[in-house]
Amino acid sequence: MRITHEIEITPTAVILDGQTLTQTETGEKMLIGLYRQHANDYPKFFKMDTLCRLGFIATELLLQAEGAERFVPTEDRAVILANRNASIKNDKDYLKTISEQDYYPSPALFVYTLPNIVTGEIAIRNKYMGETAFYILDTPDQLMPIVETTLNTPYSTLNSAIAGWCDCSDANTFYAKIQIIWKN
Amino acid sequence: MEELIEQLKQQIIEALNFEDMTPADIDAQAPLFGEGLGLDSIDALELIMLLDREYGIKLADPKSGKEVFRSVRSMAEYIEKNRTK
Repeated sequence: MRITHEIEITPTAVILDGQTLTQTETGEKMLIGLYRQHANDYPKFFKMDTLCRLGFIATELLLQAEGAERFVPTEDRAVILANRNASIKNDKDYLKTISEQDYYPSPALFVYTLPNIVTGEIAIRNKYMGETAFYILDTPDQLMPIVETTLNTPYSTLNSAIAGWCDCSDANTFYAKIQIIWKN
Repeated sequence: MEELIEQLKQQIIEALNFEDMTPADIDAQAPLFGEGLGLDSIDALELIMLLDREYGIKLADPKSGKEVFRSVRSMAEYIEKNRTK
């Protein structure tokens, strides 16, 4: 397997292919700032939960670094992400809307009460028609064997994957380390 | 009515997370779905919750939704006639 691009995002730092991108904001405000600066053409970003915003902006920066033609329907790239906290931040936000004191369930929050929505959001944005998967794991190192197996499945049409760790436990506690990985 | 329309625009912006939008950006006569604001089915559910939460209106008949949610003005007219709070 060959890794061509890598991004790491913490609440205070963004490192793309080894280069630190200077940030003036932190936490979720930083993610919104990154969106405005580097994408700003996908209003649905504002409807996403923090986990999806994290995965979305990490992927945007990765794909911009890759520089290949985008938004062309393809089945040869997978999106395989993992984390430890599932969709806990959004689950808590949703729980507040169904409390006994103030029972107004939010449909917009409910749709993000599954972590694999982030892989779907990335696939929809980029017109990836192939494999998407989201795993709940104890540690990031457990993901790589899964990615390797997925890419090398004999009948697979896959040549590459956007793969890595994408974890968020609240608006100011998150971590992403995502790579573009090629089969050969 | 105009005051209610402005209040409703602000509530829609907050409920649907239109972070880049101000009430002045919303045409009260424009269709809410399809063209205009281009809302989707999840947004429709949020609007139903908004009517219940802010104005005490429970939309019991799904067929009425098409007319109620035609535009911000049609929503405001419906609220004025049916609000319980």
